[in-house]
Amino acid sequence: MLRYALRRVLWAIPTLLATSLVLFFVTTLAPTPPPGTDDPAVLEARRARFLDLPRFFNTRPQDVVSRAEAAVRIVAAGGASEGIGARELDHLGGAALPYVVPDLEALSPDVRGRVAVSLAPVAERMGVGNGVDLRSPETATLFWARFWDDRALDFTRPAVDRAVTRLVEHGSDLREADLVSVDTYALPEILRAMTTTTDRVALERLTRVANHVTGRGPVLDAGASRDEVRRAVADWREWWFVHATDFASLDGADRALAFVTETRYGKWLQRAASGELGVSVIDGEPVAEKLRDRAPMTLLVCGLAMLLSWALAIPIGAVGAWRHGRRFDVVSSALLFLLYAMPTFALAEILRATTSGHALSGTRVVLAVLALAGGSLATLSRWQRNAMLEVVRQDFVRTAHAKGLPAWRVAVVHALRNALLPTVTLAGMHLPVLLGGAFVVEEVFGLPGVGFETLRAIEAHDVAWLMAVVLASAVAVTIGLVASDVAYGALDPRVREALARRQGDPLA
Amino acid sequence: MSDEHRSREPREPSVVLELSRRKTTASVAIVRDSMAHATRVTAPYVTMARIALARLGRDRLARAGALILACMALVGVFADLLASGLPLAARWHGTTFVLPDVTHPAVLRNLDVRRMRADRQPGDWVIASLVAHGPTEVGEADPALLPPLSAGHPLGTDALGRDVFARLVHGTRTALSHGLAASLVLVLLGTFLGALAGFAGGLVDSVVTRAVESLTAIPTLVLVLVVGALVPDPTTSTLLWTIALTRWTDLARLVRAEVLHALGEDYVTAARALGVSPLRVLWRHVLPNAIGPAIVATMFGIASVVLIEAAVDFLHVGPQAGLASWGEAMGEARGNEGAWWLIAFPGLALLATLVALNLVGEAARNAVDPRLRIGSEA
Repeated sequence: MLRYALRRVLWAIPTLLATSLVLFFVTTLAPTPPPGTDDPAVLEARRARFLDLPRFFNTRPQDVVSRAEAAVRIVAAGGASEGIGARELDHLGGAALPYVVPDLEALSPDVRGRVAVSLAPVAERMGVGNGVDLRSPETATLFWARFWDDRALDFTRPAVDRAVTRLVEHGSDLREADLVSVDTYALPEILRAMTTTTDRVALERLTRVANHVTGRGPVLDAGASRDEVRRAVADWREWWFVHATDFASLDGADRALAFVTETRYGKWLQRAASGELGVSVIDGEPVAEKLRDRAPMTLLVCGLAMLLSWALAIPIGAVGAWRHGRRFDVVSSALLFLLYAMPTFALAEILRATTSGHALSGTRVVLAVLALAGGSLATLSRWQRNAMLEVVRQDFVRTAHAKGLPAWRVAVVHALRNALLPTVTLAGMHLPVLLGGAFVVEEVFGLPGVGFETLRAIEAHDVAWLMAVVLASAVAVTIGLVASDVAYGALDPRVREALARRQGDPLA
Repeated sequence: MSDEHRSREPREPSVVLELSRRKTTASVAIVRDSMAHATRVTAPYVTMARIALARLGRDRLARAGALILACMALVGVFADLLASGLPLAARWHGTTFVLPDVTHPAVLRNLDVRRMRADRQPGDWVIASLVAHGPTEVGEADPALLPPLSAGHPLGTDALGRDVFARLVHGTRTALSHGLAASLVLVLLGTFLGALAGFAGGLVDSVVTRAVESLTAIPTLVLVLVVGALVPDPTTSTLLWTIALTRWTDLARLVRAEVLHALGEDYVTAARALGVSPLRVLWRHVLPNAIGPAIVATMFGIASVVLIEAAVDFLHVGPQAGLASWGEAMGEARGNEGAWWLIAFPGLALLATLVALNLVGEAARNAVDPRLRIGSEA
């Protein structure tokens, strides 16, 4: 049994990957900011959606090393584009120094001077080089050579890690200044500390340093509320997810993996897998947390509707099949057929219109559940009835009759128990319909669930939320499908064996 | 057991079953069963298509469903005759116009029946359609939210003063044509991919199978809503393509199963042994098995397209193409409490269509199912 369950779960992995490809394709439908502009806002928007990365395979992943080298080359080439290279060096900051300063010697004196001068803003930000004229090529070159002789040891990962740990544990202005003096080189450790620590004072210092070295992002102050802290950390994490390769180098395994991770699909999958689903454009809330807030209402409505429809559908379908062709069967089949053809939104709208005036949220939930259960009830009871009709035709039922068992015993023990099995699997197939219906009833009855929020997001073109919702519902449905298959296997040994024999083809 | 049922199919095993349930001994049942079998074997040769059609014709519910659909189709095709701002035929200012809705004469561009009547010259005449209002006509003269049976508006008007009857009639055209268009695509796609997967096997089969599974896991309504929101300028065809490209999975699953089943049959082995080319085996011996499921899937496909489109229009998030649609009309009712006619009429039309499609689809499914040939007409 356990082997069967594990096998079924493993089979869900390629399916989920295929689903992710479909959803990734859907993301590419969203309008994209045009490439090839100098407008920083547009560039940033393209960056945030990884539009400049290749789709599936990245043969030349960029990191701080390659960026720094490229920037130095641009500055060295001189001319009109020198400013661009200088700006890039300023942006990369301290993180680029280990790949720029030691190599200065190898450059020609003229180029060396230009590169050293373009590093001036970095030195200013780091608070070093007071009293030195960093704008003159000679002094700047000399300064950076000396600086590297003195401070090279600070620009190592263990040193920065120690510095950040000390700042978090016993914060002081001096230690803060220490971190500022290695500039963006400390960002990986600072961002890691931001997600692990909950200490308000430490977060205040960390965000201040991060803001100082990057010139962006929220800074917490002492009076920040819990909500503000949460949002600020989410903002920083989101920014780091997009910009990490500007300040960190890809080494070893990371470099090999970058072939697939530093791509649009790879980034999208990383987001999906880690639950870092971005930030809503409506209120700046992290989408994952918003989803967690809204999901209980949707799950409640879906769950109750499912329970209710099961509780009614099984007896109705079973009795209908058992009394096949009699009055109960004819009447219930006709009514359920109408219900089956009735769109969920129409049922919901009728329920709402006939009971308008009940503004109580409890009443609205009950009505929403009724509207949602209506459609499921019709579908499930039809399945149940068909399954039962199949079973009552079987020889063993005839045998049970022939050996003189009471009719109810034949019906319940022999027929119904076997007829329940197909309904269990089909229930999994019904999940997507149920979820879609939940979106509609939430909107009709104004229940603050995922569906309600989604319709607001559609109006606001909140791409992050919309993608998160499709992803979450696909994952939820896949889990439901796997669960119902496992339940089927648990109930019916024949299925288990068949699956084991055929190496598990869930479609056959 | 009704009398009608018994007289119609006296040798059907369902009768046998019913008998056995009435405490007849099992041996009688077995004798009746083999008798039934013997009669069938000596019966003259008929094709499966014949049997299916005959069964379909015998099914009263299917006939009713088909009748409803035929009426709907007529209403859709001749929507302009039933409700249009322009007359059916008119003689106006010395010129005769016949069906200006079809010919679109430039002279009448900004006119309607009412203005033409008001501005009549001697000898002019105007024959109006059943309801003299178009579906998108916002009547300045017509008050909003008129109840049904008002003068000139048999089913009343909506919040913008548009005629409900006209929107109903033209909504029929929208629903059926869109349903047909999208399900045509999904049937072609589903049949092709299902047959390909079953016939080719191996990697192709795995890929199609994963695609089917992954698309099944995404709720169609949610995906349609999201795609509509993401695409820069969503149109109705975006919506229809999205539905068609996600709903082919059920059919592909069915066709694949049929193909796999047929490939194991002796007649396919025989054909292969005779040296028939694989493509011909597929076309002549395997695919005909899939025609039944394809027809059934078309029916349910139209139903699901109509349903999803109505839901999207109801939520007022679809493309605002200005087309009359039932779902949109029902959505209007949400802001206008007490205007029951906004829900009731489009709702009934939608319900009738879906009931009819399901009746025909269900009957078609039973009719083409070879296993049910010996089973009861459940």
